[in-house]
Amino acid sequence: MAVLRDSKLKRILQWGDVRRRKPGMWAYALNRVTGLGLVVYLYLHLVVLSWLAQGPEAWEAFVALAKTPPFLALDVVLLAGLLIHGLNGLRVTLNGFGIGVRAQKPLFIALMVIAAVASIVGGAAIFFQ
Amino acid sequence: MAIEVPAKVFRYRPGAAPRHETYRVTVPDDATVIDAIEAVWRQVNTLMFRHACHHASCGACAVRVNGYEKLPCIVPVKEALAGRAEIVVEPLRNFPLIGDLVVDVAGFFQKQAASGMVITREAEATLDGRPYQRSETFDDEGKLGERPYTRFENCIECGICLSACPTMAAADKFFGPAGLAAIYRATRPADGAQNKSLLLALADGEQGVWRCHSAFECTEACPQSVDPAGAIMALRRELIARKLKRLFGARER
Repeated sequence: MAVLRDSKLKRILQWGDVRRRKPGMWAYALNRVTGLGLVVYLYLHLVVLSWLAQGPEAWEAFVALAKTPPFLALDVVLLAGLLIHGLNGLRVTLNGFGIGVRAQKPLFIALMVIAAVASIVGGAAIFFQ
Repeated sequence: MAIEVPAKVFRYRPGAAPRHETYRVTVPDDATVIDAIEAVWRQVNTLMFRHACHHASCGACAVRVNGYEKLPCIVPVKEALAGRAEIVVEPLRNFPLIGDLVVDVAGFFQKQAASGMVITREAEATLDGRPYQRSETFDDEGKLGERPYTRFENCIECGICLSACPTMAAADKFFGPAGLAAIYRATRPADGAQNKSLLLALADGEQGVWRCHSAFECTEACPQSVDPAGAIMALRRELIARKLKRLFGARER
């Protein structure tokens, strides 16, 4: 019997399709986006650290770049990504232990409010201290 | 009273590119989406779709209505049209597509059969609206007795949860929400599960509960309140407890 199957890529794009979906799906998509972002950051971080081996000039140039507003904004994005991924991961772990399964939606919303507030406070500290 | 419904329907035949076609049908204003699909079929009798009971018991007609998994037999046309210019009807996701709105459910039913039994309602309302007591359903040994009702399946095996599951999108072999919910139900002591260890091993396997990433869309989309995500989390809890006990030297029961 001839059947049609969507391509793997088209199917994987469902991971980010939150249209008309509920908070659990938002949590799922956010965890994937932040997870991929953190993996990319990890490699960027290793590249930046490798500049240490290239002498003081290379490092000083990076430090000057790191103090510019666009770079500081990326720091805030990183902080937000860490908070969203970490706190959402906590929710998934608790649910996996059978804890708070029925409260997964309010738990997600509460944890994301905490992530948002902490990102704003952290962002203010990054820019103004 | 009758209303005119613009219905944008997914069309596909092997060898041709998938497309959407819009049909204008007239149905009674209290009609459901399956009535509108049948009206489309009366216009173009090449339209492939499944339908049987028309009251959410068989699960045959499951499709996506406006992008979300639904049983069209219980979705009023008025509700589906609210705030929209047309109703969009598409087949379930994550299944091989045979044609138009019909997907291949053979693999799904094979997984369902692995649990070895149907999912049984814990409480069914009596004719006077009173939930049956446990003693009316199970005998003294906890075995299912002569049931005072005939409709005893909560899960109607419509496949909606598989379509809604984002993990299913990239993992064909994943046992899936309905299958894991069936395993969970089959391992409940009340049904005297002799195969409990076997079923838990299946749930603990590569394609079992650990593949779920907690999107909870299965439970949200389920038209019969089976709560597959709850069942998956309960299985995880049981498996973790067993692993911890084994770690500390307790013997398997």
